[in-house]
Amino acid sequence: MNAASPRTAFLTLFSHYRRHPGQLAMLIVGLWVASALWSGVQAINASARDSYARAEALFSTGLDRIERRDGRPLTLDDYLSLRLAGAPVSPMVEGEIELAGGRRVEVLGVDPLTLPEISGFRTAGGTGSLRDFLQPPYRTRLAPDTLASLTAEDDALPSLADGRALPPLELAPELPPGLAVMDIAVALELLERDGLSHLLVAPDARVELPDSLVRSAAATPMAPGQLTDSFHLNLTAMGLLALVVGLLIVHTALSLTLEQRLGLMRTLRALGVSGRALVGLLLSELLLLGLLGAALGILSGAWLARWLLPDVAASLQALYGERVGIELALPWHYWLGGLAVTLGGLLTAGLGTLWRAARLDVLGLGHAQAWRAQFLRQLRSMTLAGGLLWLVALGLLVWLDRQPPAEGLTPGFVMIAAGLLGSALWLPPLLAMLLVGAGHLLRRHPLAQWALADLQLQLPRLSVAMMALLLALSANLGVGSMVGGFRLTFLEWLDQRLVADLYLRLPPAQYQAAVDWLESRDEIDTLLPRASAEATLLAKEGSQYQPRPASVYGVTPHPTLTESWPLLASQENAASAWRAFARGAAMINEQLALATGLAPGQRLRLSSPSGPLELPIAAVYPDYGNPRGEVMLTTTDLSARFQTSPDSIAIVLERELPPGAIETLRRDLIQALGIGGGSLIDQREIRRRSTDIFERTFAITRALNTLTLGVAGLALLSSLLAQSSQRRGQLAPLWALGVARGPLAGAGVVQLGSAALVTGLLAVPVGLALSWCLVAVINVAAFGWRLPLYVFPAQIAATLALALGVALLAAVLPAWRLWRTSPRILLTEFEAL
Amino acid sequence: MLELRRIRKSYPTPQGLLPVLQGVDLRLAAGESLALMGESGSGKSTLLHLAAGLDTPDDGEVRLDDQPLSALDEPARARLRRERLGLVFQQYHLVPSLTAADNLRLQARLAGREDAAWSRELLERLGLAGMAGRYPEQLSGGQQQRLAIGRALAARPALLLADEPTGNLDENSADEVLALLLALVRDRGCALLMVTHSPRVAAPLDRCLRLRHGRIAEASL
Ligand SMILES: Nc1ncnc2c1ncn2[C@@H]1O[C@H](COP(=O)(O)OP(=O)(O)OP(=O)(O)O)[C@@H](O)[C@H]1O
Ligand SMILES: [Mg+2]
Repeated sequence: MNAASPRTAFLTLFSHYRRHPGQLAMLIVGLWVASALWSGVQAINASARDSYARAEALFSTGLDRIERRDGRPLTLDDYLSLRLAGAPVSPMVEGEIELAGGRRVEVLGVDPLTLPEISGFRTAGGTGSLRDFLQPPYRTRLAPDTLASLTAEDDALPSLADGRALPPLELAPELPPGLAVMDIAVALELLERDGLSHLLVAPDARVELPDSLVRSAAATPMAPGQLTDSFHLNLTAMGLLALVVGLLIVHTALSLTLEQRLGLMRTLRALGVSGRALVGLLLSELLLLGLLGAALGILSGAWLARWLLPDVAASLQALYGERVGIELALPWHYWLGGLAVTLGGLLTAGLGTLWRAARLDVLGLGHAQAWRAQFLRQLRSMTLAGGLLWLVALGLLVWLDRQPPAEGLTPGFVMIAAGLLGSALWLPPLLAMLLVGAGHLLRRHPLAQWALADLQLQLPRLSVAMMALLLALSANLGVGSMVGGFRLTFLEWLDQRLVADLYLRLPPAQYQAAVDWLESRDEIDTLLPRASAEATLLAKEGSQYQPRPASVYGVTPHPTLTESWPLLASQENAASAWRAFARGAAMINEQLALATGLAPGQRLRLSSPSGPLELPIAAVYPDYGNPRGEVMLTTTDLSARFQTSPDSIAIVLERELPPGAIETLRRDLIQALGIGGGSLIDQREIRRRSTDIFERTFAITRALNTLTLGVAGLALLSSLLAQSSQRRGQLAPLWALGVARGPLAGAGVVQLGSAALVTGLLAVPVGLALSWCLVAVINVAAFGWRLPLYVFPAQIAATLALALGVALLAAVLPAWRLWRTSPRILLTEFEAL
Repeated sequence: MLELRRIRKSYPTPQGLLPVLQGVDLRLAAGESLALMGESGSGKSTLLHLAAGLDTPDDGEVRLDDQPLSALDEPARARLRRERLGLVFQQYHLVPSLTAADNLRLQARLAGREDAAWSRELLERLGLAGMAGRYPEQLSGGQQQRLAIGRALAARPALLLADEPTGNLDENSADEVLALLLALVRDRGCALLMVTHSPRVAAPLDRCLRLRHGRIAEASL
């Protein structure tokens, strides 16, 4: 070939898309969507990781805290007397201020001069000089993304809601999002406080504390990254699903364009273009399309991430208390990674196509029946590969069953992926089998017979789009059932546990006064004091687990509580478990039971101020949403053994109270005890907050799922539209033989509708299996507790309806066009055959 | 049986309207056989399609069984084709997803009058008995052509419209198929309008017409 001929050959090959712009659009849309959803998820993860890294660098982590026992703010005198006694403590004030325009920002006031050396203030603090920071007009240190979320203008800080100004801005990129750091003097002034939130001290520094103060150890020895890993893994799995679905579209589109260009390629080969050159040409075409798709996808991915990030940030805050910036922070590898994944996926999807082009048999291919024979072989390998994947999934399931729960996250996702792919691979063989069966049954009905035979011939092209639909439908159903089941369980559990109408938190010193006051009121039915402490679960001889921290929680086993408090397992029955509990046995939460293998009937060892305790376990109770292991004792036991007193009271009111009585009680209580309104929470408030957290947590899951489903529907639609003109040509002979356009169009609709119905029907068990894996494997690995599996008939019906709806939408458009086409035009197409 | 009156037909092309038929008149009685000859591109296939109601003329009238086609709606025309006509296309237009046997029976089944014995006999007489289970592309060009003829005859049409039904056959096979076609047509009392290039093929038919410059002329062989 001379220099010009590759160009000519390329343009000749590419000219196909001029006549079939739909196929080009489908290819690009597939790539675009796959890459957009995938890179969107990556962008969210990258931004969150960036926020975690910054939070870890924050100077209060890793330091011990000193607070007042009664929970009130420390006075300046508390601080000064410690300092004067030579204790290396540093003051800190935390609070929130409202800015003009309603935005809120967290303010941290520090004293850099007394901060321990290890606080990392110097590295994380910013770029300006210490002198500016310490002296009027002081400085406000913020990360650039915090600034961007507070103001639209570039460097101007907004003033406070009441018109006062913040100290001048100093950018500090290392600070976590949503936080402003300033000198403690100006922070106290802005927050209008005269007390300190707490004092910080290096963990190795010895300090003599007066009785009124307590020291608590450095918070969270666990890095936030570890806790949130499961969340991000979840997102990644969703992104991967979208990527696979998108690539299936690409694969469909590629096979279609290749198939229709076989003749052209054969001509090119006959005209002297070598097979290798042909593959090279196709490859460069792929790369060109890939670059375009990836560029579009990565840009839209960033946009998608920006759209979802506020919800993600809210869920992370609610679930793990992690603050994540709502401004995207995209590292350079995000862009390269997106490009690499898109191109890699495209090449994987296109490999088969290239392989066929390379082996292009100048005569044999392109014949429908040769194709059919090849497809039969393909079906056999699909069945086999699907079976293998299922074996892998089952093997992993058996293996996971023997692992400690926290190990299972990644293998759990691999198991789900294997099961899903295995099912998808079984779809085309299943459809083919059903077609053969139906063909036998409907032998006598010519149009039906034709429709079935024709569907069989379409199957190779259709099946990949159907596989994409199956994946998306099952994921949608599985995740939908999981979320629905979670919601049901969670709300029911919340109702069962929130037996009291009001919850009063109070410092131990005020406890007795509060009880006395409350008992004098007529509205009160029962008071259920609660207490809490921290302890270490000690290993016993022969036990499988390491010593681990556990919260200890004290409740009062009054019938109001024990009758509704849900239990998961007990030795005999709930009543006897509660009796044992009242006599001093412990109950443990599901997280702890799953993590340690402890069960009712066994004994656990717990550290306590009075030495190790050994307690029988009476029952296991569900504790959704709590990341930690927990041991429950009666409040009296707990107070005695851990030498504390109750820290909150659950107040059960008389049933039929006149309206407004709760409000009166509330007001009187606050007045009489001199407590802040925040210490008294009403049951409805807790319920509202918890439900809110719940909804936020799944908002993004739902969004991604819906997008994936939309993509799969689009895949089916575009792949059908792309072949519809070719299909009309095939309908023409039947029309000429005397089948009117109406029945022809109807046959097309029925063809697709039934294929989609089969897909939808298969998606139901697959989706339910997926849902089971999510609640019984992934959830346990990610959160430490298991959910009951719920089946929602309405969701199943919706899945089937969705499958049918997508197929009908996809079938009706070509059918309608066929129906509207005048016979004249149909004839032209007929002649062009 | 079939009557065409002052038929005009032109096709739009990039160079403007291309007049193909410019006032064609033609009558065909029941049981009569007629050969239509003419140069390539003279409009023979066009005429056949108009006669079958696959296309509508710009002007003039096509009457089948004394009924103007223009008075029928699309389902009625489809029923007419299904029940009264047999069509053999120049490019066969077999249905690729059906076997030879199913292709042959397709129209008869669509018309609701499949006759298993007759279908079997047709397969046999067309020399396709051993290939009933094959798909169209597994047949040679000539075999496909014979299958297309079989499909048109299987429903026992009243009028057979055949576009070069022997175009792809060697002389011997062509003679054989033609003899068969004529025998079948005579047996059934079926009218035949056949397009052909070959005077040899046209010879045994009752009449022969030639299409030239968009008009019909009686032709002598
Ligand atoms: N759909 C169409 N659009 C434009 N022109 C057409 C169309 N169909 C046919 N023609 C033109 O009309 C003329 C007659 O075509 P037709 O197919 O009837 O010829 P024919 O006599 O059957 O030729 P042959 O013997 O080669 O089959 C030709 O010149 C052809 O190019
Ligand atoms: Mg012709």
